[in-house]
Amino acid sequence: MTLDWSVVWDNRWRLIAGAEMTILLTAITMMLALPGGLILALLRLSPLRAVRSATTWFVEFFRATPLILQIYWMFYVLPAAFDIRLSEFATALLGLTLNVSSFNSETFRAGIQSIRPGQWNAGLALGMSKPQVMRKIILPQATVRVLPALASTWVSLFKDTSLVSIIAVADLSYVALKIRSETYRVLEVLTAMAALYCLMGYPQAKLVDWLHRRLKVTE
Amino acid sequence: MSIRTETPTRPRIGSDAAPILSFDNVCKRYGSLDALAGVTFQVNRGEVVCLIGPSGSGKSTLLRCANALESIDSGRVLMDGRDVHDRRTDARNLRRRMGMVFQNFELFPHLTVLRNVAVGPTTVLRMPAAGAAARAMELLRKVGLGDKAAQYPAALSGGQQQRVAIARALAMQPDVMLFDEPTSALDPETIGEVLSVMKRLADEGMTMVVVTHEMDFAKRVGNWIVVFDHGKVVEQGPPRQVFEEPTIQRTRDFLSHLGWHGESLAASDLLVPAPSGSYEHRTSD
Ligand SMILES: Nc1ncnc2c1ncn2[C@@H]1O[C@H](COP(=O)(O)OP(=O)(O)OP(=O)(O)O)[C@@H](O)[C@H]1O
Ligand SMILES: [Mg+2]
Repeated sequence: MTLDWSVVWDNRWRLIAGAEMTILLTAITMMLALPGGLILALLRLSPLRAVRSATTWFVEFFRATPLILQIYWMFYVLPAAFDIRLSEFATALLGLTLNVSSFNSETFRAGIQSIRPGQWNAGLALGMSKPQVMRKIILPQATVRVLPALASTWVSLFKDTSLVSIIAVADLSYVALKIRSETYRVLEVLTAMAALYCLMGYPQAKLVDWLHRRLKVTE
Repeated sequence: MSIRTETPTRPRIGSDAAPILSFDNVCKRYGSLDALAGVTFQVNRGEVVCLIGPSGSGKSTLLRCANALESIDSGRVLMDGRDVHDRRTDARNLRRRMGMVFQNFELFPHLTVLRNVAVGPTTVLRMPAAGAAARAMELLRKVGLGDKAAQYPAALSGGQQQRVAIARALAMQPDVMLFDEPTSALDPETIGEVLSVMKRLADEGMTMVVVTHEMDFAKRVGNWIVVFDHGKVVEQGPPRQVFEEPTIQRTRDFLSHLGWHGESLAASDLLVPAPSGSYEHRTSD
């Protein structure tokens, strides 16, 4: 079997553009899913029962169903049933954001609940309102605690963006699989794809390990 | 230590008609447990009232009910004539007039010592940062920790942390200070520095409610002792009466359980009177 690596070199700009799209999707999704997750977490801790249970259903739905289904669903059902027409990119972003927000909300919630009740009492006893205690006392501590978990989610997200290729968003997977089908050089193209994901993913994984070591909760 | 020396205990301050904080038949249940079963006593302006009693008798619960961190089931808590648990009462406004000091300090670990003290004034009183920092610094000096302002709480000893917690509460310029076993979590060698800060505060005329197992402190600094058992006040009176002639067996049992047998602790050096103008003696840093 002869290998012809020129196919990779010839398509280098397409592959790089795909990699850029992967990074862009990851970054924008996380930028939206951090505040999104926080808001969901706060709603889930709301004193209003109705708000709490509605949020719980929402979060559990996105955590319990496969991401691929969520993306397909938004791609086909939103336009058909609700006449909402989004570009492929916007659809992908929406699906990823809702999914990752749901996971982040559980992370934030665990972080918030891990702060001992005495901290609440100390803030309230000073005359702070509950939102003030949350903002000034609880969230700063909780966020530091969950940073490693959020970073792990980031790395999963980076890999999961490959799923958006099913709705023709031109991320690294989509581009690589397209080149493969055009050239039939399966081995070369898939190897290049693996190398690119690895090149980008490895430093991220290392960063996560470092965060885990650095911020190990010592309480 | 069988000789009884006369220890000066303070007379009750103020007239009974003008308490700053009063508890009137306060009841609080947790499920089927009566944590407070009809508690009545009052705290007059400028007084130090010490709450003593066995574990689980409801002392902490009472303090949490005093500043509405906990609701009550019946009875009334009046702070300066205002019903603390009335719906129309602004609980936050009342709380900032009651400083609270916790057994395990509850400093904010993500803030420097200075910010721990300043965060109340900036957040609640909307004080400008510079003014709040100046007030915080002054209070830290007062409790002998001016040099620790830039540290984080984790770098401080227990006694130092508790003194920061006292400064934090004082920064709101409260009318009453509530202490929940402020020295119970401390190493023996740092208890004295916290108690002497508290004694100085009392000498300055601060109204204080102190839950404590430090009988020496209660006897010398307290104006009024309230003995709790099973969510009830079983005895109250001036220190001399409660410690030296307890009227009921339950008090006697409790005191002897703590190793108190009626003798005065005048010889103990736990509470050396502070040199005037400074809290800084006996600090162990
Ligand atoms: N949040 C709560 N939920 C249920 N039970 C509680 C709660 N807080 C206190 N209790 C119970 O109420 C009773 C009184 O507790 P409290 O903490 O007021 O006692 P205490 O006198 O402060 O004791 P200690 O000296 O151990 O601090 C105890 O039996 C305790 O278990
Ligand atoms: Mg207690």
